[in-house]
Amino acid sequence: MNKKGRIKFAILRGVMALFVALVVTTILIFISIDAGGRDRVAATIDALQTLLIRPFVSASGKIATKNITDILAAMIPTIFTALASCIMFSANQFNLGTEGGIMLGAFTAAMCAIYLQLPAGVHLVVCLSMAALSVALMMVIPAVLKAKWGVSEMVCSLMLNYVIMYLIKYFMNTSLADKSKGQLQSLTFLGTSKVPELISNGSKLTWGFVAAIVMVAAVALFMYRTRWGYAIRMIGINQDFAKYSGIKVAVVVVLCQVIGGLLAGLGGGFEMLGRYDYYSMLDLPGYGWTGITIAVIAAKNPIGVPFAAFLMAYLTKGCSLMATYSGVPSQLISIIQPVVFLFFAADQFLSHYRQRLVVKAAEEELAEKGKAAVAAAAAQEGSVK
Amino acid sequence: MWGNLFMSMLTPDFVASIIRITSPILFATLSAVIIEKAGMSNIGIEGTMMISALTGSLIAYYASSWVVGLVAATVMGVVVSLVMGYFSFNLKTDMTLTGIAVNLIGSGGTLFLCKVITGITEGTSMSSTTSLITTKLQVPTIEIPLIDAIPVLGDIVSGLSVLTYLAFLCVPLTWVLLYRTPLGLNLRSIGENPDAASSVGVSAIKMRYIAICLSGLMAGLGGAFMSMSYSMGWSLDMVAGRGFIALAAQAMGGGEPLGSMFAALVFGFAQALGIKFSAVGVDSNLASPIPYIVTIIGLVVFAIRAKRKESKRRLAVGSK
Repeated sequence: MNKKGRIKFAILRGVMALFVALVVTTILIFISIDAGGRDRVAATIDALQTLLIRPFVSASGKIATKNITDILAAMIPTIFTALASCIMFSANQFNLGTEGGIMLGAFTAAMCAIYLQLPAGVHLVVCLSMAALSVALMMVIPAVLKAKWGVSEMVCSLMLNYVIMYLIKYFMNTSLADKSKGQLQSLTFLGTSKVPELISNGSKLTWGFVAAIVMVAAVALFMYRTRWGYAIRMIGINQDFAKYSGIKVAVVVVLCQVIGGLLAGLGGGFEMLGRYDYYSMLDLPGYGWTGITIAVIAAKNPIGVPFAAFLMAYLTKGCSLMATYSGVPSQLISIIQPVVFLFFAADQFLSHYRQRLVVKAAEEELAEKGKAAVAAAAAQEGSVK
Repeated sequence: MWGNLFMSMLTPDFVASIIRITSPILFATLSAVIIEKAGMSNIGIEGTMMISALTGSLIAYYASSWVVGLVAATVMGVVVSLVMGYFSFNLKTDMTLTGIAVNLIGSGGTLFLCKVITGITEGTSMSSTTSLITTKLQVPTIEIPLIDAIPVLGDIVSGLSVLTYLAFLCVPLTWVLLYRTPLGLNLRSIGENPDAASSVGVSAIKMRYIAICLSGLMAGLGGAFMSMSYSMGWSLDMVAGRGFIALAAQAMGGGEPLGSMFAALVFGFAQALGIKFSAVGVDSNLASPIPYIVTIIGLVVFAIRAKRKESKRRLAVGSK
């Protein structure tokens, strides 16, 4: 198959995956809706409409600007975690620590925002850099253990997620809580540390979004236009070959996870300082897993990340609207997400169809060659005569 | 405080609590042992346990029988594994990714199902089956007649949940299955060298399905233990990383049933210790990460040992 055919097939495959997810979703909505008989079908259709159209078009038929900015704002942390997963998965390092990474990054940024006193502008940069650095340091643990002794980075990073969550909870419960508030939260961030908003309509669409898009371009350049990016991808394709061709595997294994940590930490920082006025994140936020889903849908290509992130944010928004208007629990997204994810990750999904396409393309090519040969032969004959 | 802590660790109750806490980890560990012997790695054990825990608790409630609930949880474990198998073996999805997907469903997806099926919502977004479950629907405990009368030993090994005995019974059973049956031989041969196994007529895909089903069965039992014995009913994220700890226990135990059981006991000990710490006044958030930290340390120790052994072996081969 030529490149055009491959792209066509990839799009078709994506559409089919989404279609399967839609069917599963419809069934689940149908089960969960609280109505009987014919009402149930109508209610299901209504809920589906809410899920698929409401994020864009409001009930009165106007374009729902607020919903759209909500979706764009929700993409900020997941783009960062997805980029981190793209880089780490490209080197076959299944580090799942982005979940804890986001939380740690958010926490570090929050602490810097409360306890450091710096001029505006500088303060924000310092907060974000500290957030990125702290998570990079955290990722050094699984990375070095893997590179030096072959400890599974997957199990190690998963365990670290729990350790980070409990330690942050501990600090929040003891020394860092704002005792004057009823809810468990930190002191308020200093004004100098806020991420400025792009549009101030309550969606919290901040400059973090621009930073995320810039990062997409930067990571794409890094992965496809630099020596290190090449080394990372090479290790993912064939580690032994990479080793024998002179790539320092251990260094790259550490490097890719540290960069992943930097990105996850940055995402946590932007999310915390852009969206909130005080720290109150006490559970793992789930952005890490969504990031992994996005990375898989984007086939580990950074350029695809914003589109996949948009898709996930759109569906999440749709689910929360559906929870409000149709009473379907918003956790439906936790089932849609893995279903989409599984079909995108399935190598052999629609493989029979791909096979047919390949055969057809080859036959066409042969037929054309045959025609050309006949024509050439005829031409030759003509010239001989 | 430390004196108190030390004294409370010498009681039979503490040893019994280690055994009890180890049981779900042990089921999950055996699940990991079986599938790793067949040359695969199942990171979806965590999610499988969550789904089974919910199934067991709900079915026990609707059928008003813990036996039916337990069977349903186990069957659910196998069903989840079959789906994982279909994606991994037939559709060639990376097995790690299949596992992540199952874990996603196990986390938020179970909450969705719980809300939809029971209609219970707690607060704004939470839900659990705790309010539906009575002690009658829990897996019962057994007093072993003669041992019960022995002073210390009786306190430790008698009066535990049926599933705890089953978990420890499964250790020798798994060993027998792997090393003393033709099926076990085939499973291990697929793990060692699938091509060689195929060449003598062992169907690799069939063996992989059998391995993942057995793995799911164990994970299902582990999940059932969580919601039907360890605590009253299902609640969100109740498995809390035990499925992942099991992967570490499997690695530390060298992939053998008996060794992995001891590794699982180490984690059970760490967790029991964490509970004791919070009982004597240490902040529970400071005590809770102990098992996870022990897991990381355990993995490192095991990996260093394995590496030393490997380099020794290489030296020995080289000097010949």
